[in-house]
Amino acid sequence: MDELLQEFISETQETLEALAGEVVAWEADPADSDRLDAIFRFFHTVKGSCGFLNLPRFERLSHAAEDVLSEIRAGRRKADPATVSAVLGVMDRIGELAEAVAVGAALTSENDDFLIAALTAQEEAPAAEAENVAPVAVARQASAQSGPRTIRLPLTLIDQLMNGVSDMVLARNELSRKLRERSADPELDNVFERLSTCVADMRDIISKTRMQRVDRLFSAIPRMVRDLGRDLGKRIDLTLEGGDVEMDREMVEMVVDPLTHIVRNSIDHGIETPQVRRAAGKPEAGSLRLEARQSGNQIVIAIADDGAGIDTARLVDKAIAAGRLTPDAAARMTEQEKLDLIFHAGVSTASKVTAISGRGVGMDVVRANIERIGGVIALDNAPGRGLCITLRVPLTLTIIPGLIIRAGGQHFAIPRAAVVEILHDNNDMLQVSEVGGAKIASIRSVRHSMIDLEDVLGLEKPAQSGPRAVMVVRSATGVPFAMGVSAVDNHEELVIRPASPLVMASGLYAGMTLPDNGKPMLLLDAAGLANAANLSNVEDDRASRTQESAAQEDGVEMVPALRFEELSGERRLLKLSLIERVEDVDTRLFGRSGGQAFVRLDERLVPVANGLWQFDRPSVAALRLRDDRREACYPVAAVLDIVEMPAVPDMVAMHGMLSGVAVVDGEHLEVINPFALFAGLPDEADMARVRGRCVLADAEDGWTREILAPLLRQAGHDVVMGLPADRAVEPDDIVLCGGADAAQAAEIMGCRVVQLRASPRPVGPQDGSIYRYDQAALMAAIAGGRG
Amino acid sequence: MLDELYLFAVLAGTRVAVDAAEVEAVVRLSDISPVPGMGAHVAGLSALRSRVLTVIDVAALVHGKPMPAEARRLAIIANISGHSYGFLVDSVLDICRVAEGPAPLRGQLDSAWAPHARAIVENEGQPWLLVSLAAFIEGGALAQAA
Repeated sequence: MDELLQEFISETQETLEALAGEVVAWEADPADSDRLDAIFRFFHTVKGSCGFLNLPRFERLSHAAEDVLSEIRAGRRKADPATVSAVLGVMDRIGELAEAVAVGAALTSENDDFLIAALTAQEEAPAAEAENVAPVAVARQASAQSGPRTIRLPLTLIDQLMNGVSDMVLARNELSRKLRERSADPELDNVFERLSTCVADMRDIISKTRMQRVDRLFSAIPRMVRDLGRDLGKRIDLTLEGGDVEMDREMVEMVVDPLTHIVRNSIDHGIETPQVRRAAGKPEAGSLRLEARQSGNQIVIAIADDGAGIDTARLVDKAIAAGRLTPDAAARMTEQEKLDLIFHAGVSTASKVTAISGRGVGMDVVRANIERIGGVIALDNAPGRGLCITLRVPLTLTIIPGLIIRAGGQHFAIPRAAVVEILHDNNDMLQVSEVGGAKIASIRSVRHSMIDLEDVLGLEKPAQSGPRAVMVVRSATGVPFAMGVSAVDNHEELVIRPASPLVMASGLYAGMTLPDNGKPMLLLDAAGLANAANLSNVEDDRASRTQESAAQEDGVEMVPALRFEELSGERRLLKLSLIERVEDVDTRLFGRSGGQAFVRLDERLVPVANGLWQFDRPSVAALRLRDDRREACYPVAAVLDIVEMPAVPDMVAMHGMLSGVAVVDGEHLEVINPFALFAGLPDEADMARVRGRCVLADAEDGWTREILAPLLRQAGHDVVMGLPADRAVEPDDIVLCGGADAAQAAEIMGCRVVQLRASPRPVGPQDGSIYRYDQAALMAAIAGGRG
Repeated sequence: MLDELYLFAVLAGTRVAVDAAEVEAVVRLSDISPVPGMGAHVAGLSALRSRVLTVIDVAALVHGKPMPAEARRLAIIANISGHSYGFLVDSVLDICRVAEGPAPLRGQLDSAWAPHARAIVENEGQPWLLVSLAAFIEGGALAQAA
């Protein structure tokens, strides 16, 4: 009897789950008799079984629902939204009762009469309801009507099977080792080979039993969308795609909550009401699209709506209001960074807390949950047009790509996803400095907290001949830090199993794995290591912000600045926010014209801020600077590092390009005045004049028109097609031509000529022409001659 | 309660009895990989076929003195809330039924053992401390870890 009851309950629960979507689809299309039949069948089955099992409440509910549905089937009644809601209500109650029976709890005591009355009540005010009707059109792509034949198995049985297969694999490995020790016997090897293949196949198949169709993840969505849409008076077209993609059972469980939250958000905050949508010129029904697909060893789930998107300006205002951001920092943020604010705790665009979302459980929790399982969440925001959220989660929780590292004579694994880069400690890019016991690793002038794994774990650091490896580790939530280990040995797909609670309690480990050598290995938890080492969990930007505020208390505002060495040898500071990037520039690209130095970067002429154009080296480090409009280049001898400098120099002394002297780490450094720097640049219009025009003599020629002219325009030159007939060319103009005749003609007019030829080789030693596809030479010829 | 099956062993130098229902097996451990960053009571991890055992050094848990590495050979295997543990023992003597069942504790118990011993089991004319393996994990070890 107990067994029968158990079976009835689990069957009922499962059918309920599958049916929730069907009911919603049926509401959208009441003529769909297949779906109606499926729902009818469910109630019929429940009614039949519970009469037998003596469950009167089940029986009464399902009987009432069955009656109504059979009326609808007979065409005597219509499936209006009120009826559907009532049917759904009965299904929910049956679900609750089933749950209560399953766990052996007391049945909920709500009165079922109300539900049954709602079922039987004929709709009274259909007209008023009609306006608010929000049927959810569900389009499921190619869902097979009849599923494959299945049986039920207890999970423990599958787990045992799984363990058995793992044992088998280990036995095979041991056998293989033993076989290798003996002399080769081809016959034996053949048989062993066959056994190996069987074992490998078996393992693959068994791991498939852990897989589950994404459909299960989607099954609750239609119902939720429908109910939310009705509550909020919004119309939503829901599309579910890729339900047949399979992912790990545990993974499905882990993704349900984040996905639900995103869908709720999307309906509550994303999709607008029909009125608003009409005003914005959008179709009244918002579209919500959930799509799952497999990409390599990841499952990609995209949730796209065509709603309002995220208002980043509001996010920024909120963050500033909440004191998480200074207006100064906000101004420096890129659009993407602003968008990322949504993941910060306590920041939400919801203007008011609603019942649906915005209850404090925000996107920060969603991201944390996704990242905990090794996933990534990405936003693609189109303000006013919609938002697409992409979740990428690993196919399974149990197999992850990992790095095997060695520390203190022991091996550890670390998830590959947590490692940003690996360097050897003899690398030039890496500098490790120590202060007050803290280690700081500067990698390409970014400073990271540095820990040695041995120190955190309390291991001996054995002497070693080769260089140690330093890896930049980024935990899901924290800031990247540098971690020193003896060596990084290997890259492997690791089968991760949970470690005992005892080991997990240390907070250092995320699990364990059993490699082929039979020696258990621990999987390190990056965030846990950072915690254990008491690394500050403060983001770089936040670090500068806290320093800012700390400094403000002392009355000095600090700003990040780049410390560099001038070609003349002085060390100076420049406010970091002005510097776009630093790069090495070929010194041949520098030139001078009209008393102003230029450098040709990306085929554009960029003014050189400090007027230098001749260098004693083949390439020079250059700071690329930018204000809101202009860009400039600042060649330097060396970039030293990034430091905090007072916003107002310690000694103000305006003098040329300098604004004063600041003391940083006891060193007196001259501070560049950005105002003077940009003010000293030649005027944009000036530059155009200085640059002169490119006169293309062969205006009729197709190559000149279609290929050369666009190239020159792109490079920022003024292009004139054909030799000007009405007035003489200006002396600054450059004439580009193909034939020698035109070249002579232009030379007579007194301006410079660049002659182009079609063949890669010059015709003779006197030939001063340039091969027309030699872009570098061509650009140099145009720019260079103006010195 | 009567006529129960007990495993009699020497654990951290003391005669103990363990309810046989808790014991899965007694095995010789091959290799123990240490778990750095944990207290001495976690001796390490050891593989038993495809299972990974968390090996508990009961001597360290009870007396705070870890067992010497060369003595770490024999372990009682138990499955406690879904995870496999190995409890290092000095020696295992017998498994037998005790008709009388556990008797209440008598005498002044060493303070180190007080939190772990639950009763006395008489066997072959000698008293044995009745201990629970699960309690070692849930009571002692986890508390120390936290």
